[in-house]
Amino acid sequence: MAEEKKFPFADEVVLSPELEGWEEMYPPQRLFSKDREDWEKRHFWYQDKIHAPEPLYPLDDIFQSAWQIALSQFNTRVFCIPPAQGVAQRILGCYMYIAAVEPPPPEVIQEKAQHFGKRVPYVFENYNKLWDKWYEKFSELGEQMKSLKVIKEFEKYVPEEEVIPYPKGYTQAYELIESFNNIVNMIIKAWQWHFEYLNLAYLGYLMFTDTAKKLFPGIKESIIGKMVAGAEVSMFKPEEGLCRLSRLAMDKPNVKAILKKDISAYEKIKELNSINEGKAWFEEFEKLKDPWFFVSCGSGWYHYEGSWINNMDVPFNYIKSYIERLEKGEKIERSFEEISQERERLVNEYRKLIGTDDDRKSFDDAYKIVRTIYRYAEDHLFWVEHWLHTIWFEKVREFGNLLVKYNVLAETDDIFLFNRFEVPMLLEDLATSWALGEGAPTRGKYWQEKAKKRKKILEAAKKWLPVPALGVPPEEVAEPFTVMLWGITTEKVGEWLKGGGGEVVTDVSEIKGFASSAGIAEGPARVLKLMEDVVKLQPGEIMVAPCTNPSWAPVFTKIKAAVTDIGGLTSHAAIVSREYGLPAVTGTGIATAVIKTGDIIRVDGTTGTVTILKKA
Amino acid sequence: MTNKWIYWFNEIGQEYNNTVGKKCANLGELTKAGFQVPPGFALGVEAYKRFMTETEAQKRLKEFLKDFNADPNNVADTLKFEEASERMRSIVESIKMPSDMERTIKEYYDELCRITNCKDAFVATRSAGPVSHPGQYETYLNVSGPDNVVFNVKRVWSSTFNTRSIIARARLNLPLDFDPIGVAVLTMVDAKAAGVMFTINPINGDISKVAIEASFGYGEAVVSGNVTPDRYLVDKVTMEIEERVISDKRAEFTYNPDTKEMEYKELPSDKRKIQCIEDREIIELARLAKDVENHFGCPQDIEWSISRSLPFPKNIFLVQARPESVWGKKKKESVLGKKSGMELLFERAFTPVRVKI
Repeated sequence: MAEEKKFPFADEVVLSPELEGWEEMYPPQRLFSKDREDWEKRHFWYQDKIHAPEPLYPLDDIFQSAWQIALSQFNTRVFCIPPAQGVAQRILGCYMYIAAVEPPPPEVIQEKAQHFGKRVPYVFENYNKLWDKWYEKFSELGEQMKSLKVIKEFEKYVPEEEVIPYPKGYTQAYELIESFNNIVNMIIKAWQWHFEYLNLAYLGYLMFTDTAKKLFPGIKESIIGKMVAGAEVSMFKPEEGLCRLSRLAMDKPNVKAILKKDISAYEKIKELNSINEGKAWFEEFEKLKDPWFFVSCGSGWYHYEGSWINNMDVPFNYIKSYIERLEKGEKIERSFEEISQERERLVNEYRKLIGTDDDRKSFDDAYKIVRTIYRYAEDHLFWVEHWLHTIWFEKVREFGNLLVKYNVLAETDDIFLFNRFEVPMLLEDLATSWALGEGAPTRGKYWQEKAKKRKKILEAAKKWLPVPALGVPPEEVAEPFTVMLWGITTEKVGEWLKGGGGEVVTDVSEIKGFASSAGIAEGPARVLKLMEDVVKLQPGEIMVAPCTNPSWAPVFTKIKAAVTDIGGLTSHAAIVSREYGLPAVTGTGIATAVIKTGDIIRVDGTTGTVTILKKA
Repeated sequence: MTNKWIYWFNEIGQEYNNTVGKKCANLGELTKAGFQVPPGFALGVEAYKRFMTETEAQKRLKEFLKDFNADPNNVADTLKFEEASERMRSIVESIKMPSDMERTIKEYYDELCRITNCKDAFVATRSAGPVSHPGQYETYLNVSGPDNVVFNVKRVWSSTFNTRSIIARARLNLPLDFDPIGVAVLTMVDAKAAGVMFTINPINGDISKVAIEASFGYGEAVVSGNVTPDRYLVDKVTMEIEERVISDKRAEFTYNPDTKEMEYKELPSDKRKIQCIEDREIIELARLAKDVENHFGCPQDIEWSISRSLPFPKNIFLVQARPESVWGKKKKESVLGKKSGMELLFERAFTPVRVKI
């Protein structure tokens, strides 16, 4: 353990020379800076492996900077959680670090308490109504984004009807600039809404955890998670859809045969459409597609992860394995009714153990509150990170295509190498050259070289193992997300200190994390540091990943156990592991750094311990 | 007509506390409630009284005590009490039991042998005071044969005159020559492992857990604290074993057929650190613990024993149950302070989480 019980400060971190120039990819306010040094060094920064486990592409950083504002303002300015301030972000070596901002002065806590007392009860009392409104406005925003018009090519001359009888007065040059500004506004607004009730949902969860622990000091976090978590949430719908489609194919031998082939999804769709039964099946598929297959193949945070709708091989492979399991007589659906029944049983039985009627009453009330709002924590994830991000990435690529068409960029996805303040420069450059008339050049060569250089930097950043944290750990944390989502606890920081300041640790043979799903399993590890590695996973391996998300659900039928760096007892990996009865240890902090693919490991999901039995 | 002084376990229950002593009453209650308790019978305090008064025992003790003078609060006088105890015990143990009592005890013992299908069944003779004197009186294990049973019942009675008991009574100004207790005579379980369990986590008072301590051999190893037992924590709702600490158990308390004595036997090194009972046994114990707690309506401290010869789950016996003494005594108070959910939410919002590094 480090002697001073601290991590290096940002300016003490040595980056590889290959990363040189990384700073210019991000706006200056997003970097550690000399002029804010005092404030920055007073805070404890840790790498945000939940939202940014990998190096940040400049345009993908838009979500991060948007949540920095949104999450923070709901703590500080909207619901006014008295001692909590915001969560600040900084980028270092292309990785994002975050810190819970130190508490405000006592008089501000007093003021905030007034607002909190009025606003928060209102939300809990009216939550169902408020959710309906939220869903309505959010769907509308998504539809707007979908219908946003991005020009496919520049007209040589403005069509006559835009001049006569009444001139429109502006052209595609303006429309291009406007449409990008609009889509940026939309995504930022979506991220404002993302947090509308999330802070309170987390606060509710923490309150219920406190309550349960006062009544049952040794209650496992995994049990609390099971008591609170819902089963009928949007995030389970994509998988449900696949199960339904797989069953639908079972009594149609021709359709089934096509779906089971080892060919690409593209070829499968072509073959399906060549027969009537196949066409009918594919129509059902198409019906479910929007919104339920607008689901990221990864976390939704990175453009390169892709979504099911533009990576049809992913859903089609899942369908193939579901059909094979159905043929073996296995059950593929998760029984949501069973999950609900189990939840009710747990709550009732613990409730019965409570010693006094007064406490039972408080417990019932606390449970009602958390159940009212917790759904939001589960539902918003599908609608924002999956559905809307899928739409965003598709739309942004339309801008990318245009830039490629006019040689401003070499490849469509290179647009993601420019941050949201820079993309307008590229678009303005293109619009200007069109307006100037024939033969006026853009700075395409300059942008393309920049893109090439940035790609290299990001490649180098991927190979760098970022230090888990920076600065001096705090004595207390009041910010609900910091506690719940990132699980910043005494134990967690201790584990990070054990993992060392960014040096690769190889001599650790036992790692602790949350005991998220009971049971013991031994087997070879498969470290999935990058999301695209999922395909390499072999049946019977133990998955070791930074974190998982709902589009990975089918993977859980293949593995023996799951280990993650980040995520508590309500994390996706924890929930799904419990449902499939797989041992899981989550939130280890360092598993992907310490364990290597091929190591033989033992996962004890009852005690929260991972042991490396034999190094590969 | 003399009062009834001997009972089968299934004839008595909690309401017999003052008649047969707490331990017997509880064993009776468990037996009646359908729990598997080693078969046995109880001698009431009446039996002690009869023995002491119908024979010359009490008279001889009184005579001896006439000249006895010692200060129980003076440590220097301890030796005097020790000598007195030795003398008093030998007086009591040398006196013959009234013949009808002896005959009846032997009849009960014969019946026990018949029920358990054993000749000269091994039994334990355990003291059972109407008020708890934990660890004060004595218990004799692996007693076999009618004469030995009768003799060891007397030994349990005479343990009311052991040094620590007479000092305790002297301090309270209670008579030194008479302290009626009951005696439980119950068949021995040929224990492969035994221990205690609590229907509450004694460490933090968590009512949702069963805490089990277990070691190889007879339960005395755990109860006396001579061996560091394995510890298991089972959740009452999920019935999962949430914690297990496997200790180095060094030795087991067991019967030595050569010396016919109970003794600590060193465990071979490969056995010392292995879990002493199976997972399914742990879970079955926890299930029983829950049932016992439900039956008595308050947290329980239970002694159990697992037979090496019977098949699971018939091999699990309860040998004692009493209210848990630490947490159980606390008044049932609200821990949430009658707060509403919204009040709890406010409390949470105002309280930062401490992080200790």
